[in-house]
Amino acid sequence: MSPQLSTSSKVPFFRDIRTLKWALQILALLAVFAMFYWLFGNYQENVAKSSIQTDLRFLDNPANFTIPGNDLDQSQPVRDAFVEGFLNTLRVAFIGIALATILGTLIGIARLSKNFMVRTLGTVYVEFVRNLPLLLLLTFMNLAVVLQAFPRIENAWLPLDLFVVSNRGIAIPWFIGSPAQLGIGILSAAILAFVVAKIRIRQADKTGKQDRAWLVGIATFVVLVVLIWLLFGYGWELPYVDGRGTTGGLRLDPSFFALVASLVIYTSSHIAEIVRGSILAVSRGQGEAADAIALSGSQKMRLIILPQAFRIAMPALGNQYLNLIKNSSLGATISYFELTQIAQITVGNGSPAVPAFSLTLLVYLAISLVTSLVVNFFNRRLALVER
Amino acid sequence: MITWMRRNLFRSITDTILTVISGSILGYVIFQVFQFVFITGRWEIIQVNLKILLVGRFPEELMFLVGFSILATCFSIASLASGMNRPIDQPSTLAGKLWGLFQRFGLIIATSAFLIVLAGDMAAVLFGAYVVLSIFAGRLFGIARRNTVLKRLPGWLWVAINATLPLVLIFLTMGQAALEEWGGFLINFYLAVVSIALSFPLGVMLALGRRSTLPLLRWLSTAYIELIRGAPLFVLLLLAGVALEFFIPASIAPDAIFRAVTVFTLFTAAYLAEVIRGGLQSIPKGQAEAGKALGLSTFRITFLITLPQALRNVIPAQIGQFISLFKDTTLAGVALSVFDLLNVGTAITKQDDYLGQGLIYESLAFVGLLFWVGSYVMSRESQRIEKKLGVGIR
Amino acid sequence: MLDSVIAAGSVRCGTRDALPGFAVLNDSGEHVGFDSDFCRVIAAAVLGDANAVEMIDLETADRFTALQSGAIDVLVRNTTWTATRDGSEGANFLQPTFYDGQGMMVTSDSGYSKISAMDGAIICVAKGTTTEGNAALESSRLGLDWEIRSFDETDLILEAFLAGQCDGWSSDVSQLTGLRSAYPNGSDALTILPEVFSKEPLAPAVLDGDTAWAQAVNWAILATIQAEEFGITSANVDSIRDTTEDVGILRFLGAEVPGSDGAAVLDPNLSLPTDFAYQVVKQVGNYGEIFARHLTPLGLDRGLNSLWNDGGILYAPPYR
Repeated sequence: MSPQLSTSSKVPFFRDIRTLKWALQILALLAVFAMFYWLFGNYQENVAKSSIQTDLRFLDNPANFTIPGNDLDQSQPVRDAFVEGFLNTLRVAFIGIALATILGTLIGIARLSKNFMVRTLGTVYVEFVRNLPLLLLLTFMNLAVVLQAFPRIENAWLPLDLFVVSNRGIAIPWFIGSPAQLGIGILSAAILAFVVAKIRIRQADKTGKQDRAWLVGIATFVVLVVLIWLLFGYGWELPYVDGRGTTGGLRLDPSFFALVASLVIYTSSHIAEIVRGSILAVSRGQGEAADAIALSGSQKMRLIILPQAFRIAMPALGNQYLNLIKNSSLGATISYFELTQIAQITVGNGSPAVPAFSLTLLVYLAISLVTSLVVNFFNRRLALVER
Repeated sequence: MITWMRRNLFRSITDTILTVISGSILGYVIFQVFQFVFITGRWEIIQVNLKILLVGRFPEELMFLVGFSILATCFSIASLASGMNRPIDQPSTLAGKLWGLFQRFGLIIATSAFLIVLAGDMAAVLFGAYVVLSIFAGRLFGIARRNTVLKRLPGWLWVAINATLPLVLIFLTMGQAALEEWGGFLINFYLAVVSIALSFPLGVMLALGRRSTLPLLRWLSTAYIELIRGAPLFVLLLLAGVALEFFIPASIAPDAIFRAVTVFTLFTAAYLAEVIRGGLQSIPKGQAEAGKALGLSTFRITFLITLPQALRNVIPAQIGQFISLFKDTTLAGVALSVFDLLNVGTAITKQDDYLGQGLIYESLAFVGLLFWVGSYVMSRESQRIEKKLGVGIR
Repeated sequence: MLDSVIAAGSVRCGTRDALPGFAVLNDSGEHVGFDSDFCRVIAAAVLGDANAVEMIDLETADRFTALQSGAIDVLVRNTTWTATRDGSEGANFLQPTFYDGQGMMVTSDSGYSKISAMDGAIICVAKGTTTEGNAALESSRLGLDWEIRSFDETDLILEAFLAGQCDGWSSDVSQLTGLRSAYPNGSDALTILPEVFSKEPLAPAVLDGDTAWAQAVNWAILATIQAEEFGITSANVDSIRDTTEDVGILRFLGAEVPGSDGAAVLDPNLSLPTDFAYQVVKQVGNYGEIFARHLTPLGLDRGLNSLWNDGGILYAPPYR
């Protein structure tokens, strides 16, 4: 069959590729619309049969429940409860991400250690945890560790006389004073320390001496924080057992502990693998060049390998952070009052189910989007600028 | 030996300290585990409840169907594996072959043996023997295919023949026993397999849609994928648990398994789509261009040239997705009250005979063992396939 | 709904499977309990066969969505009748079968003797029930700083309670009594405090908008109360029907009533068979029998749940 050489014959309308493309798209759109229409039609029909609300008015109804560890009054609207749940999710997310990254990086580096024992320990940890479902870890943390292993409040453990550990929670020493003020104080101290470190680097560059900027920065930070502490009269509070609870200090909800612990353990195993992979992915030439200019092992890691590995690992790490945030929704199964638990409770109390859970989904989507944007931002800043 | 120890364990002072610390941690953990498993553990609860842990409340009379399905699947897998062309790097000595088998399947064999010992009755031992026999029969069948006239059978026909028997039996089993009665490990497995099978076509379509030049299709696919990927699976399951019945006509009353499969399928399709898209991106443009040079339509280029290569390239990632899904099926237990292995595991500690005795450790250890072995074996197989296919090397 | 139930040949009753006294599974896998019996009452009235009922176990979180979506015909699951549920849950509550109240259960060695002494305590409740709101209300009313933890299921509360994570367990007194009787450390290890702090009328519910079905179910329930008022039990219902001359009882049991125009059977057009009350009492029993069968062994007194002429508030409208 010889190919058609003459292009002067007009292709009929219905075989023209442009029409076909548009036709296909319009068909797809129609199909999607038809599906949505059918789904929504069913929804309206089923909802009309019973007099259930379908809008967001339920957010104004009184909540009728309180949240442990919080001053929410039960007459406040559902909206406030959702906000509290959202804040709790953020708390879990921040602490979980921080701890998981630290633990994961340490284990990832351990897996590459030349020491056989350390390497084995790391491998055993990662291989063991990676293949377990998160829910299993969470159930174990909650039912086995918190409820069985932790003692009753009457026999609470008092490690170092600083903490109170029982199945009603872990109480840690905490400061007395306004947290907002202290937060601002620490933030400003950090910024100042950063500035001082930068000045020190510029100074040292001129003289050629070692800048030890880290040391200078941290020292400044510590000094400033201590100054702020003394100036504003903050104090420490040690917790102690008081009847059936603890007084003083900050009490961590046992469910919070179980949730964060299982999330950290689970995510750190994945982060360890990512860190290990990214360190291995840094080209050997870099390590060899570091050896050639006689950098010590820790200097090699710190100055050459880790920064490059971090750049490689960023997207995957961002993904793990997203997973951690999404996995925090499992807190509802152990009665930790994060966003999903709040949604479940309000639905049980009479809020309409579909709007409530859809709202929850949207909030998670928003959190995911923001986290993705932040990670992408860092990704682009750290990305290698190729020739 | 001493030099090895010196070099790997005691290089310097810090090294020695690290060795001592990690060694003692490891030793302590191993000791505690040993003590728990063999000495202090009260495993009666697992022995008594073994059936509901593995298959839920599956009706006794129909258990033989499950048995036959397992035998048929073992047969088919064995014959498919040995029916393909023999890989060149197989060890030729018997010892070598046995060691290879042990490395690959030792864990599964050990776990099955453990389960048979737990079950403690002759029927279990006999069943184990049947499984071994069916694997051998399958191997013979596969070898027969390689060496006899059956060699002329086209590949797809061979696969079809092997797939029919287990599929027929499985459908029969599903038809006879209502899905509400399934439970335990069986339902985790069922949910994972069915969901990934159903999500495959959808995932491929989404991946192609996302890379499409038609803006509408691209937008729709991207919106779906990003929406699903930003949502926690648990919340989606909860939503399905309360909302699904509003969106479908009242005549179809969705039961928990239906909802679970729906959500898992829609969820996995989005993640699979990303994996497949990565695979499609890894195919050099030259492939598609060669197809165009041959005058093939876009459709043919995609389905005959690009897609098969892409899918092959990301087999390990797909298996990784399956493992993830397999572990996530536990969420159906808490969100939709499906009686999956974890749910049963926590429920048996509340039976009258065992309530309040702290048996949660034994129960979760057993549940963890089954999940762990499943995931570990699958991930090891995927690493093996990765090596065999030379992914990333060619 | 009535037609579809008759066509289906069985009533789909939403219930639960693990509340001692109200609904538990016996060894043969059948539902046994106060609520289960009322499911059977409805089936006996509508279909003439107390066993023509399909028990559908529901989690607390699903009970209203099951009703809303039509997965069940009637919800008989110790559910409290409140205004919000009547309205925004789209449910239509019928004659309460049990007038309950919310109480508090503590361990006997905890030293608490009344609720007002439980300042700063940790109270465990079930998620998505009226209990949470009431406990929160009570806490602020009495000025006690309670920490209220809510759990998915009763089992989880039991675990937490056994481990000592909760100081008090709050729920309907009837539930607490049942749970106490099944406590692994023995029922003496638990004390139910004397104060009751809310009204919890437990009533069956049907979906809004179906008057015929709602009335049919309602009168089925009322029949048990009326039967006890007449003194009719499952044992003597036959002999009473054959020998009594009380016109009210004859009408009630759907027997022929001699009248000036000849014998006639009362048919109030409730879409129920005329002898529905007879079937109910014969096959299941009157209210007192049902109560005595399941709740008295737990130690629950009739209390408010006695007849109006016996110190309680159970009052059935006249059947005429």
